[in-house]
Amino acid sequence: MQDNQAQAIIEDQLRKHPGVRDTEVFFDDRDGCVALVVPDDTYMDHISGRAASGANVLSKWRKTFDLSQLTKEAASAPVGFNTIGWNSSYTRQPIPTDEIREWVENTVRDILQLAPKTVYEIGCGTGMLLMRIAPGCKRYAAADFSPVVLNRLREQLGTIPALAERVEVMERSADNFDGIDDDSFDTVVLNSVAQYFPSAAYLTEVLEGAIRIVKPGGHIYIGDNRSLPLLPAFESSVELFQAADAMRAEDLRTRTRRREEREQELVLSPAYFLTLRHRHPKVSRVDIRPLGGRADNEMTRYRFAAILYIGGETKASTQEEFLDWTEYKWTLSEIRFMLMAHGNERIGIQHIRNSRVEKDLAALAILRDADNELSAAELRQRLEPTPVQGIHPQDLIDLESEGLGYSVILSWAACRPDGSYDACFVPKELRQGITSPAICWPEPEAREFMRLANAPGQGKMRNELIAQLLTHCSQHLPPELVPREITLVDSLARPCGKIES
Amino acid sequence: MKGKTEIHDFVRELLTNSGDDEPLEDQDSLLISGRLQSIDAVEIVVFLEENFGIDFAQIGFDREQIDSIDLIYALTQTTASGH
Repeated sequence: MQDNQAQAIIEDQLRKHPGVRDTEVFFDDRDGCVALVVPDDTYMDHISGRAASGANVLSKWRKTFDLSQLTKEAASAPVGFNTIGWNSSYTRQPIPTDEIREWVENTVRDILQLAPKTVYEIGCGTGMLLMRIAPGCKRYAAADFSPVVLNRLREQLGTIPALAERVEVMERSADNFDGIDDDSFDTVVLNSVAQYFPSAAYLTEVLEGAIRIVKPGGHIYIGDNRSLPLLPAFESSVELFQAADAMRAEDLRTRTRRREEREQELVLSPAYFLTLRHRHPKVSRVDIRPLGGRADNEMTRYRFAAILYIGGETKASTQEEFLDWTEYKWTLSEIRFMLMAHGNERIGIQHIRNSRVEKDLAALAILRDADNELSAAELRQRLEPTPVQGIHPQDLIDLESEGLGYSVILSWAACRPDGSYDACFVPKELRQGITSPAICWPEPEAREFMRLANAPGQGKMRNELIAQLLTHCSQHLPPELVPREITLVDSLARPCGKIES
Repeated sequence: MKGKTEIHDFVRELLTNSGDDEPLEDQDSLLISGRLQSIDAVEIVVFLEENFGIDFAQIGFDREQIDSIDLIYALTQTTASGH
């Protein structure tokens, strides 16, 4: 039987299962085939039950934030710097305050670069951003769904009457835009909020509301998003960090898989945000940036900011040419020299190895192929001699302040699972006051559009669906046609690269 | 008034639902150890509010208060309103 006939038979059989909305089967150079399956939402809701319903998930997070502000520490937290609940996944202890301070200051700097004057912040919490951004604004509306958190914010605002009178605090859910007129703000901010949304569909609903209320020329800043392409590296790095020396590779892999299954937060691919350009005519372009900062923590390693430009902006007029870092493996000094030598030309470099995640990715590669008996201690030993070849993103950002005449802009839009990033060095005289020049960044490969987000709290059910589909195929197809592997995706990338939503 | 067995059964169910079938002792750390996540703490809080009448808005909250079955039970003994 020819591959295309077999493909059609397997796809027909898979489509008969109620859990399958769409599927595509392909044969590769190994034995058997791989099936990509877009799960049916209604079926997933059915097997998930109430526990995973959006309302229930939001209600649990609301209670989590309420509880965080009932602690003794929250009552005595400094104004505008309440870090209660910011715990490291690695140590399970609070993230050091100097690291949070750097994270806040970098976020504020990025938002201020957008020159906001009228801001609507969704998920304002206890006001870490508000206290720093609102003083320079004409209007600042701050919304949050946790009444206890908002009480804490009101108490703190009460100590700064001049600020309190220009800030409007609203208790409401993120998807509630009632009473807010179209084009009424120049900036909407959602920072470190999207991970508590129950699904990408809910985020889309929120962003549709945000797009409606932002006037042309404005921006939507969605900060501190957890990266889906790097999720396996993050999950395995946490397990390896916590593992006792004697833990076997097989157990580490099991624990990593279980951690992925249990993931309760929404983890997003940058590609999710890139799709908004095609879905919403008001979105003129999208930038994806790795976080700045020297601190070495899960935020700087594994999170990114997405900036949506609303109307008014001109798109990048020319296709950039990007030099490929992997061909020459330039060091920081060589890049500095290149900038000095080129003077006033715009220079793009793609595929720059990211020193922040290099070790974690090396550990993941070893763990994937390791013998079951390899211990965590042996794995760590194997990593020790690995020299770091990549470049720290902050090292490139810091070139901007060396007087070389260049602005430095980084991008993570290409969604590469190796964590590499792209950089564009723009001569300052060419920027002509433009805060963020339009750059035609390298795009993700088509397959990166197939999986845009995880399904929080549904890992177990999704694995159950895969098991059901394999059983279904075994019962209805000859053994040679049973897929070797079934992967659940959000959409199918067609051969031409066009994406089906 | 429910007792320690009910608390144990409830915590056991939470762990099982999150894929943890390891043995569970009354003194085992649940939240600080990472066996349960912060969102699971909410389940314990709601369980205590509904079954023991504990009002966390009144007594304040600290995850160390509910980090093991022993601690949860002790909390019910000192603060329960006798539902």
